[in-house]
Order: sequence, then C-alpha cells, then structure tokens
Amino acid sequence: MITAERKPLTEIKEMIAPYRKVLVVGCGSCVAECASGGEKEVGLLASALRMDAKISGKELEVKEMTLDRQCVYEFIDQLTDVIDEYDVVLSLGCGAGVQAVAEVFPKVHIVPALNTTFIGETKEAGLWVENCRACGDCKLGFFAAVCPITRCAKGLLNGPCGGSRTECCEVDPDVPCAWQLIIARLDDMGRLDLLRKVHPPADWSKQQGKGPRKIYRKDQRT
Amino acid sequence: MDQKSAGLNLTIFFCQQLDPDQDVNRRALEKELGERIRFFPLPCSGRIDPLHLMRALESGADKVYLVTCPEGTCRYREGNLRAQKRIAFTQELIEEIGLERERLELIITSAGNPVTIDEMARGLLAREASVGPSPVRVS
Repeated sequence: MITAERKPLTEIKEMIAPYRKVLVVGCGSCVAECASGGEKEVGLLASALRMDAKISGKELEVKEMTLDRQCVYEFIDQLTDVIDEYDVVLSLGCGAGVQAVAEVFPKVHIVPALNTTFIGETKEAGLWVENCRACGDCKLGFFAAVCPITRCAKGLLNGPCGGSRTECCEVDPDVPCAWQLIIARLDDMGRLDLLRKVHPPADWSKQQGKGPRKIYRKDQRT
Repeated sequence: MDQKSAGLNLTIFFCQQLDPDQDVNRRALEKELGERIRFFPLPCSGRIDPLHLMRALESGADKVYLVTCPEGTCRYREGNLRAQKRIAFTQELIEEIGLERERLELIITSAGNPVTIDEMARGLLAREASVGPSPVRVS
C-alpha cells in the first residue's frame, strides 16, 4: 500500500489560514491502513483544528467526511453535493488522491494534510516498511521476493556488498541485509542457481525520465 | 485549590472491571455535579481511542482522566498497556495546539487497594488543580 504521514499541524494551519469553512476528507484505503488518513485520523485532525481555532479566537467551521477511496471518480463523486459549501478541502489522501479530487473539482482549493512516503507493507501493528520502489521492472522472482532495489541500501542486483554485520546493513544497522535474506531464502528453497544470472544495471527509464507513467487497458475502457 | 472548588469539568474514562457496581456508585456524584463530571465506563481501558479523548476536550472538559487496571491484571491481557500508549499519543497531539499534556492524565490503579468509582472520582476532585479551565471552553 501507499503510506503517508500527517504533516505538522503548523504546516496544515498555514495552508488553511485564509479560509473559514474547511472540509476534511479522509480515505478508507491505504492511508487508513497506515493510520494517517482514515476516518479516525480525520476525526482527530478536525477536532484538533476546531479546538485550535477556539483557542486562537478564530472563526473556523470544520466538517468531516471519509471516502472509501480518493483516487477513483465513483467515490470522489460523493463530494459533489457538499463541496460547494466549503472554502477549502483538506485531503487526507495520498498524493494520488489529492490530485484525483482536484481533477474532479478544479475550482476548489484542495490541500494535502499528509506527506506521501512510500509503497510498503504493514510489518507489524504500528510498523510500516518500504518494500517497493515501483521501478516498473519487477525482478522479485529472481530474488526470492526480496527487492534488492528497495531493500538493499546500495541497490545491488548481483550479490551482497560484503559489508553486512550480524545480518544487518552497514549503511543502516537497523535494516536487515537484503542480500542476506535473498541468499538465505534461495538456499532454503534450493534455488541458489538463480544467483548465476547476471543482471545489467536497472533500466530506470521504466520508472522515471519520461513524465508521469500510465497504464492503458483497452479491454477495461468503456 | 482542589479541582472541585476550582469548578473544573472532569471527564473520567475508566475500565468498568475496576468497579462492577459502577453504574450505581457514580450516580450520587453525577447528581451532585451534573455536567461538570462525566463518566465513561469502558469494557477495558484498551478500548479507549485518541478520538474519545479529543472529543472529551472539545466538548469542554478541562481535565480528562483515563483509569486503568493495575499492570499485569488486565483481563484482556494488554488493554491497559495499549491505553497508556494511546493517551501518550493524544498528549503529543494536544501539545501541537497549545494545550497542556497534563489535561490528559493516566491513572493506573493499584492492585491491593480496590476503590469504587465514586471514591476514586472524589479523590480526583480533591486533588490540587494542575490546570485551569480549558482555553477551548473559555475562549
């Protein structure tokens, strides 16, 4: 999922300072899972903003709403009947959600309450770790489903750097050495032969350098 | 000056395992103080959510207490530990808007000294007021 973290309140307050009626919109998908932008977090932020306004003597109306997803038109459309009542929409969606909402309502100022961070997994309750860089050229099948681009600090594709200590990365000792994991897993499944393949440098043109990427599926189009 | 004399609004979230007769035992205080005291029994203090604490402050509470079972005695194992983490999280959040973290206070009861919710609440009311009326309420 896409992970995100709430911006500092000072930054959020600065963005909505010119406005009097704020609609705080959450997203029930990825950001709800990483406890940054779901219905609860909308409530927390809205409550904090209302109290802050009272303390400062400012007039501020803050309403709350959460969409199942902020990146799909059919869900964004739920805002249509209410959005005109507000001066600004404070979105707790990821960057994709914020922009998708703005595409549907280009005349409304949509501001982000979150900093979108990475694609990752819920490792444990309260711990999310990055495990995918969306490189566009997935090679996980060769690496026992441990991504060396994301999880190796040096992005090495053809074996370890040799600097790991006690199975942890020399760049960040809190991070397990990805290559330690790759080799251990391939060994366990009897597929060390996969290491014989020499991988050329990653083709980063599949990820960047050509503007925003898109996927077009003719069979899915109406 | 104690909290009762200071006229502070208290909200008390508490684990109802602490006092099985809590619904009866708190009535006298509720009648005496009316809106100034609000009790929220929880099936476990781990049921508390930061949102409950925020809404309590937003509704005009000057001080919010979260009362948990003694460590190691939670019937749901870790509820009281989760409660501690959630109140700590909410304390950081309210500091961002300039409210004192002392407005949220965790009370871990002691194993050898069971008290009724009425006795506990009266004890809290008798405490020296560490905060004044909330700026959310008086602004």
